[in-house]
Amino acid sequence: MRRDGRLQVYWIIILIVLPFIAALIALGLGRMQISPGDVFDVLRTRISGGHYANMPVEKTIMQLRLPRIVLAALVGAGLSVSGCAFQSLFANPLATPDTLGVASGASFGAALGILLGFDLVGVQFVGMLMGGAAVTLTWLAGSGKDKGGLSYIVLSGIMIGSLFSALVSLIKYVADEESQLPAITYWLMGGLDKASFRTLSFGSPVIIAGVLVLFLIRWRMNLLPLSDDEAKASGVNIRALRTVTVICATVITASCVSMCGQVGWVGLLIPHMCRMLFGNNHLSIIPASVSLGAVFMIAVDTMARSISAAEIPVSILTAIIGAPFFIMLMRRSGGWRI
Amino acid sequence: MILRIENGSFAYKGGPEILKDINIEVTSGEIIAVLGPNGAGKTTMLRCMMDMLKWKSGRSLLDGEDIHSIPARKLWSRMAYVPQAKSAASSFTAFQTVLLGRSSRIGVFAQPSAEDMEAAERVMRSLGIMDLADKQCHAISGGELQMVLIARAMAAEPEILILDEPESNLDFKNQLIVLDTISELAANGVACVFNTHYPAHALQRADKSLILSKGGDSIFGSTVNVVTEDNIRKAFGVNAVIGEIETPENIMRNVIPLSIADTDSQTQGKKEDEKCIASVTIISDNNDKAEMINALLHEYNHMLIGRMGLPYRRAGLYIINMTLDGMRSEISELTHRLGLIPSISVKTTYAKDNSDDRKGTV
Repeated sequence: MRRDGRLQVYWIIILIVLPFIAALIALGLGRMQISPGDVFDVLRTRISGGHYANMPVEKTIMQLRLPRIVLAALVGAGLSVSGCAFQSLFANPLATPDTLGVASGASFGAALGILLGFDLVGVQFVGMLMGGAAVTLTWLAGSGKDKGGLSYIVLSGIMIGSLFSALVSLIKYVADEESQLPAITYWLMGGLDKASFRTLSFGSPVIIAGVLVLFLIRWRMNLLPLSDDEAKASGVNIRALRTVTVICATVITASCVSMCGQVGWVGLLIPHMCRMLFGNNHLSIIPASVSLGAVFMIAVDTMARSISAAEIPVSILTAIIGAPFFIMLMRRSGGWRI
Repeated sequence: MILRIENGSFAYKGGPEILKDINIEVTSGEIIAVLGPNGAGKTTMLRCMMDMLKWKSGRSLLDGEDIHSIPARKLWSRMAYVPQAKSAASSFTAFQTVLLGRSSRIGVFAQPSAEDMEAAERVMRSLGIMDLADKQCHAISGGELQMVLIARAMAAEPEILILDEPESNLDFKNQLIVLDTISELAANGVACVFNTHYPAHALQRADKSLILSKGGDSIFGSTVNVVTEDNIRKAFGVNAVIGEIETPENIMRNVIPLSIADTDSQTQGKKEDEKCIASVTIISDNNDKAEMINALLHEYNHMLIGRMGLPYRRAGLYIINMTLDGMRSEISELTHRLGLIPSISVKTTYAKDNSDDRKGTV
C-alpha cells in the first residue's frame, strides 16, 4: 500500500480485470456448459451486430446468464460499498446495511408488493419506498435535539428493523398459503433468478448512482470514523457528509434487496477483507469493495445455479461460505478496528 | 491574531452555571494554560471557545468577529484542535492521520495533492516524527499518538492551536516532548491554549493562565500572578507551596501539594508587594531570540535602569545583563516570561533589602 493510501498500479489493474474474468468464466458455467471460446464468439458477434449460429447457446448467454451476472456484479458491488460506508459511519466493524433497518424495511415493502399481487417492477418500487421509510424513521427516532450521538441511531435502527421484521411476519401470516406464502418466503431467501434486462433497467441506475457518489467522495469518507469534535474541527460540513453517505448507502441497499431479496454477509465480509488487505483508507477500500464485491457475488451466484439441478437460494450460500471464511480471516488477522 | 472570550457563561440544560462570566484574551505567540479541578469545566470551556458548544451568554471573538458567524472552513483553517489521545480515532497510519488535517483545504471530490502531501511531511519532520509515518496509529505509544495528533492539527497551518490535556497520561519524557513542542510552536508565533491538571506546567510554560473553580468562578491573568498558593487553595481546595528550584540554566517554579485545605479556612492576605532592585542575566544561544527578548524588555522599559548586551560570537552566544528597579511582582513577571522562551537561560539576583539606605542615596 502506498503512503498516501492510494492503491498501487498493479492492484488497480487486478481490481479492474478480475470482475471481467469472473464474468467471462461465469458465462460459460451452468447446466449448459459452454466453452470459453464459444462465449467469446457469441459476445463478439453480438457486439458487432450479428447473430451467433447456435441459437440456444446465444439465448442462454445473452438472455439468461448475462443479465444475471450483471445483476450479481451490481448487487455485490453495491452491498459491499454500502456495508463499508455504514461501518465507517458508525465507526463500528459490525455495522451492516441491516443496522439502520433498511434491509428489513425493503423486505417488508417487497413482501407487501407480492401480497398485493404487483409485478416485479412494482415489488422493487415498494421495496425501495419502504427501505427509505425505514431509514427515515430510524433517523427521526435516533436524532434528538441536542443528542446527535451515533449510538442512538444504531439503537433506533435495531428497533425499527425489528418492527419491520414483525410486519414481514404479519404479511406472511395473512398471505395465501398456496401461492403467496411460498413466493414471499422464497423471495426473502434471496435469489438472482428473476434477473432480466427489464428488472435491471429499474434498479441498476439507483445502485450505480449511489456507488458513483460514494466513489467520488471516497477521500472525504476518511473523516467519517472520527469523533464528533474531531470531525467538526476538520472544518468540513460533517452533517452533510454523513447525510449524503447515509442516503447513498440506503438507496443502494434498498434497491439491491428489492431486486434479489435479503442477501446477507456480502456487506460484512467484503469490506473487512478489503480493510485487511489495504488498511482503512477509503481511497483504496471503496474501489476494492466495488471490485471484490462484484467478483464474490458472481462466484457465489454461479455456484448457486450450477451446483445442483435445483437452484440454491443465494443467501444460504453466502452464509455457508461467508461465516467460516470470516472466522478464518478474523483469526488470522487478530481482529481489526475502524 | 487576537482571540477573545467576552463574558462567556455556560450551563448544561436545566443545570447550574458551570462557567460564569469568563473573559480571556489570547494573542499570537502566547501560551495560555487552563487549570482547574476535575469537573470544573476545563474541556467544556475549550469546547465553548471553539463553538462546538454554544455559550449560554457571551461570545468568542476571533479578530473581532464572532466565531459563531465565521464559516467552518474559514475558521478551521485558522484554528486547530488537538483532542485527548484516548478519544481520538486511530484507524489510519500516522501519515494518513496527519493528512486528514488538510481536509478543510481539500475539495469534496478531490484527493490530497502533492502540496498537501508535502505539507504533511514537512510538519511531521519538524516535529521529529517522520519515522512513525507508516505505522498504524493504534500500534504506537500514547506519547507518539499525541505528537501525531499535534501534527494533524499543525498540518492545517493554524494561527491558534487548542489542546485538550495534551500531556495527561504521559511519562516524564513524553510530557517534556509535548510541552517543548508547544513552547517551540509558540516561539514561532502560534498561539497555544491548553488544558492541564498540572499547575507546575502552567508555571513553567504559560504566559497567562485561567483557573476555573467548581462553582464557576474563574481568575485570568499573567501566570505568575494567577497561579499562586492562594488561588490554588481556593480553586483546588489544596494547601500547596510554590517553590523555586535552581537549575544550572534557569530558576524553575514548581508546585507541591501539601494537604487538603479546610473548606472554611480564611484566605490569607496577599503578600505585601515591595519595591526592590534586581540584576538579571540572560544567556541566549540564538540570535533570532534576541528580537523576542528585546520586544519583551521594551514592555518593561519603565523599570530598566541599565543593560548591557554582549555577543560572544565564537561560542554562538548572546549575553545580556540588566539592572531592574521596580515592584517585586513585576520583576518576577518579566523573568517568568523571559524563561518561557525556549533555549534561553535566565537568572535573577535580588539586592538585599536595605530600604533605609536606598532612601538616603536618592
